[in-house]
Amino acid sequence: MTDSSSDCTYEEEYVFYKNRPHWKDVTPVPQDDGPNPVVAIAYTEQFREIYDYFRAILRSGEKSERVLELTNDAAQLNPANYTVWQYRREVLSHLKSNLSDELNYIGETISEHPKNYQVWHHRRVIVEWLKDPSKEMEFTNVILAQDSKNYHAWQHRQWVVATFKLYDLELEFVNDLLLKDVRNNSAWNQRYFVIIHTSGFTPNVIKNELEYTAGKIREVVNNESAWNYLRGIICHTESGNITSEEFIMKFCEDLYGTGCRCPYLLALIVDICEELFELGASDEIFSMQRALQVCDDLALEHDKIRKEYWKFISRRINQALLHRTTAA
Amino acid sequence: MDFNPKKHARYFLRLLNILPSHASNYDSTRLLLCFFAVSGLDLLDALDQLTPEKKEHIREWVYHLLIQAKESDGDDEVARWGFQGASTLILPPATGVIDNSEPYACGHVSMTYTGLGTLLILGDDLSRVNRKVVAAGVRACQQSDGSFCATLAGSECDMRFVYSAAAVCYILQDWSGMDVGLTTNYIMQSLVSHNFFQLLPGFTMIFLINHDDIFQSYDNAFAQGPGLESHGGHTFCAVASLSLMGTLHTMLSTRQLDGLRRWCMMRQESGFNGRPNKPVDTCYSFWVGATLKILDCYDLINKSENRSFTLATQDNITGGFAKWTSTDVEPLHTYFALAGLSLLKEPGLIEIHPELNLSQRTVEHLHKLHEQWTCN
Repeated sequence: MTDSSSDCTYEEEYVFYKNRPHWKDVTPVPQDDGPNPVVAIAYTEQFREIYDYFRAILRSGEKSERVLELTNDAAQLNPANYTVWQYRREVLSHLKSNLSDELNYIGETISEHPKNYQVWHHRRVIVEWLKDPSKEMEFTNVILAQDSKNYHAWQHRQWVVATFKLYDLELEFVNDLLLKDVRNNSAWNQRYFVIIHTSGFTPNVIKNELEYTAGKIREVVNNESAWNYLRGIICHTESGNITSEEFIMKFCEDLYGTGCRCPYLLALIVDICEELFELGASDEIFSMQRALQVCDDLALEHDKIRKEYWKFISRRINQALLHRTTAA
Repeated sequence: MDFNPKKHARYFLRLLNILPSHASNYDSTRLLLCFFAVSGLDLLDALDQLTPEKKEHIREWVYHLLIQAKESDGDDEVARWGFQGASTLILPPATGVIDNSEPYACGHVSMTYTGLGTLLILGDDLSRVNRKVVAAGVRACQQSDGSFCATLAGSECDMRFVYSAAAVCYILQDWSGMDVGLTTNYIMQSLVSHNFFQLLPGFTMIFLINHDDIFQSYDNAFAQGPGLESHGGHTFCAVASLSLMGTLHTMLSTRQLDGLRRWCMMRQESGFNGRPNKPVDTCYSFWVGATLKILDCYDLINKSENRSFTLATQDNITGGFAKWTSTDVEPLHTYFALAGLSLLKEPGLIEIHPELNLSQRTVEHLHKLHEQWTCN
């Protein structure tokens, strides 16, 4: 199934709880799986025993150092068991344990299971308790260095950045990531997140962002992330219209002039033509006739997988034209 | 490659019996695996391969996981009501000792959804479910920002549990399980990326939302929460929730719907990916496909490419589907690959209801129950 439990960590030195002198006072409690269980799991002996002891501890309510060890064992065998983590936090809190140590511990566990929700949640709670985000940027850097699109890591990072107002160096971080991989959609999203929470999309920022993004598109044209971002910026202009930005229109036309027929460019040209028509502005270059032609080009040559979609857009355009003619 | 439904039925039948020890990391969500198997068999029109006795065992096991109200329950207990994901925290009765374990055995919003779904597929009439109580358990998981956590016993909060909560409320026909306005707020904030309206309560912003000129989304799709990256799975959760709540077309303007359709359409390469510039993955044939279906434009996709990709991940020997052609089959991708093929109306599969992620046949059974509940 998935990576999971590493019984092998115990290999030779593993001592069952029933043979550990300092656990002698605890009677394990079995699971009640009903008379006819389904989707049963053929637990290993270790798994069964550790969870039998965990149930015994839940029942007795003991919160001690040895229970901390038990929750470690239980979590290693099934890091997705949120109750184990919850109980571990209660023990940590009860013992007033050193939370920096816990942060190191959970960091190691996350490195082993970087796409597990429960371990990231545990880290977040520990950071909340510590009220100290000083390790978080470096920690998420390491995880993102292994997988620059790990959603959990980004989610944690955004929470840290927003909660502790750590926006200052974030744009630099995003710039670096985009230098490494201009197709990293998570990095583009983080760019938007940072700007919206700091400078905002002021006219000046919009101008800079348009130029920056246009530059990135010229480097790698067939990059949906950058095109989406480009359109995202336009939403922040006064009118929110694509066609209110001369820059965009000229950018598209220049790129088209170089022979570029990337679907994202062509899609934007169709949208520009449609928008101008809706606004009642007539334009020789961005006309509805051109939109129809570009839809055909997309359907038949440049974006064949979306053939039916572009035919649908064509029909929509024809309807709009028909409606205008009838109305006139 | 040919579609091999018989092998997949056998895969699910094996899943219902026993899993190897390395499946232990599913131990706290066995009910989800049970749902995949039973709903998978339903889609394969192969429920008759379960003996009446086996069906009864499944029903009894699912009910074994349900925590309902007891007379002694106080306000703190409400949050516990619902289905647990497994029996890990079900202990034999204690004799002569105080049992402190009870508060940890909690319903889980997504497990409540899959538990109810499993029962419905098996033809159960949910008469043993106290609907008010289960709805109250779901409501207890809603946060002040409108999101839901899975369970009050230590969980993150996000769009997945918003969807589960909406599906449970719909199934129970009891919307006391959530503050619909607050839920809608959370969903819309995960689209708009701005936080202009975070301070406004409940319904206040609904009147502002449709105003295209005031604010727009960055790429027109939904994320796990506000500010996060748009994602095919979370977009399904958001769109299906709005649809189940009946607010999809009032909340999203024509321009937003067009943008959302475009974003979803752009996910197709052969199969579908979940985010721009990520590889295609079988489960998005359902997540994104079902979203397009809800948005009335599923027929615009390239069906043959989608089908070919999905079938390329099929294991012809063991049955099952994988995430990618290069990975091993597992239950989640097996189920969602079939759900995706069902959207394609693949022969041998029955049709799926896109919002509820249950077969149309099961949803018809549910709607009959709804009529009975209304009459009573």
